[in-house]
Amino acid sequence: MTALVSMRLAAFVRGGRALAPLIAVLVVLGVIYGGGASPASVAYGYSAAALFPVLAWQSKLVLDTEPDTQRRLARTAVGGRGEAIAGLLAAALLALAVCAVAMLAPWLFGGIETGDNALTGSVLGVLAHLLALVPAVAVGGLASRAVTGGVRNGVAVLVVAAILVVVLGLQGSIAPWLVPPVMATARALNDADPPPAATLLLITGWAALWCAAALGGYGWLRRSRA
Amino acid sequence: MRFDGVWFRYGRRLPWALREIDATVEPGQTVVVLGRNGAGKSTLLQLAAGVLRPVRGSVRDRPPIVGWVPERFPADQPFTAEQYLRRMARLRGVAESAAGEWMERLLLAEHAGTRLGDLSKGTAQKVGVAQALLARPGLLVLDEPWEGLDAAARTLIPEIVAEVTATGGIVLVSDHRNEIAGLPGATHWQVTESSVRFEEPTTPADEVIIEVAVRRADADQAVVRLRAEGHRVLDVRDLAPPQPHHGPSGPDASSATPQSRADLPTKGGSL
Repeated sequence: MTALVSMRLAAFVRGGRALAPLIAVLVVLGVIYGGGASPASVAYGYSAAALFPVLAWQSKLVLDTEPDTQRRLARTAVGGRGEAIAGLLAAALLALAVCAVAMLAPWLFGGIETGDNALTGSVLGVLAHLLALVPAVAVGGLASRAVTGGVRNGVAVLVVAAILVVVLGLQGSIAPWLVPPVMATARALNDADPPPAATLLLITGWAALWCAAALGGYGWLRRSRA
Repeated sequence: MRFDGVWFRYGRRLPWALREIDATVEPGQTVVVLGRNGAGKSTLLQLAAGVLRPVRGSVRDRPPIVGWVPERFPADQPFTAEQYLRRMARLRGVAESAAGEWMERLLLAEHAGTRLGDLSKGTAQKVGVAQALLARPGLLVLDEPWEGLDAAARTLIPEIVAEVTATGGIVLVSDHRNEIAGLPGATHWQVTESSVRFEEPTTPADEVIIEVAVRRADADQAVVRLRAEGHRVLDVRDLAPPQPHHGPSGPDASSATPQSRADLPTKGGSL
């Protein structure tokens, strides 16, 4: 499976498809940190929320890099389950790299306030990015060509998911649990002081359940969609 | 390996591509899947390879290592032929040297550094054949493997098929031009109207030889047509010039005498 993950990453990077999401990441970082320094937790909370659609898009691109027939060849080589998991792992590794850049870059140009809460804020920032990364990979998977069968349906899934995450994630939403808690995380971190542990636990549990459902759905759909 | 009441369609609203296929393939058996374009040969082969999942029924006892040669090799990938085959070898969990061995054998060595997208159709098809053989397959599924191959590589396919079956492997091969009809002991499956008709392997004792004269210009087409119908074309040769004292040419010239039959080669000939 490691060989398949590495093959897909190599194909994604060599094929030049990594360029578009990379530019989007730089734009997002420019917008967030262009206005000066903020407390770590606040900045990272917004960064994770703003990166969610980019990470989902990038994950879809990673999963769509291979021609359909090559994906099926990989399936005969490592089995259906192995092929599906290797795709998600490749997407997650790239998303992790993007998150690492998004978290380290602001330190280089003074985007984060250095103070007592910088370390706690950074740890909370790692959590916030992870809580955006895994659902984004799941959304990218559900929008991938292997599941949706074509470009139009894939883009529709991606756009609708990105909009719903924001709309249903707003305060006072009628069904916030339908989407991953990306906006809720940004709100919880919107203070220099760390949020209560119970809030973090609730958000993490909520994200874990949502991801289990979305990734389970992806796995179930991929059983019959090669 | 067994097809157990397999039904397949590509979408809920689409008609069935294959209906209620029940079939068994024994170890060491070669199955030639015949049928017109769009009959469902590729679908059947992909179900056998495990690439597609039956909508109803199941394919049981599939050998663990499956080699699948798709009808069209996916050349739109940013790797050279060698990089691709080495990566596929790692994917299969075999030594990367297997890639070099198959590149030698399939006469791919000179294209090792060529990007997949720049390969000719036939060379890309050879890469497709090589990737299926990196780990010795217990089931080899070949979807029109001759498309675009040159004469030297074409003769390799029956050799490879024989090697796989000799070690107890199963080979399924689709072949709309009936190139493999000469393979001894091959069972024929005819795919028509979403179902499969099984034809027992023919033995030399079941066959007779008919000599037919066709116009020179039509010879190619006649050979293709005869092969597509499942007949073996043994030989193509010029007619002897008519002998004036034996009467007019025509029907007499094409009738076979026991003597001329004995002159025919016993193995499959070609144009």
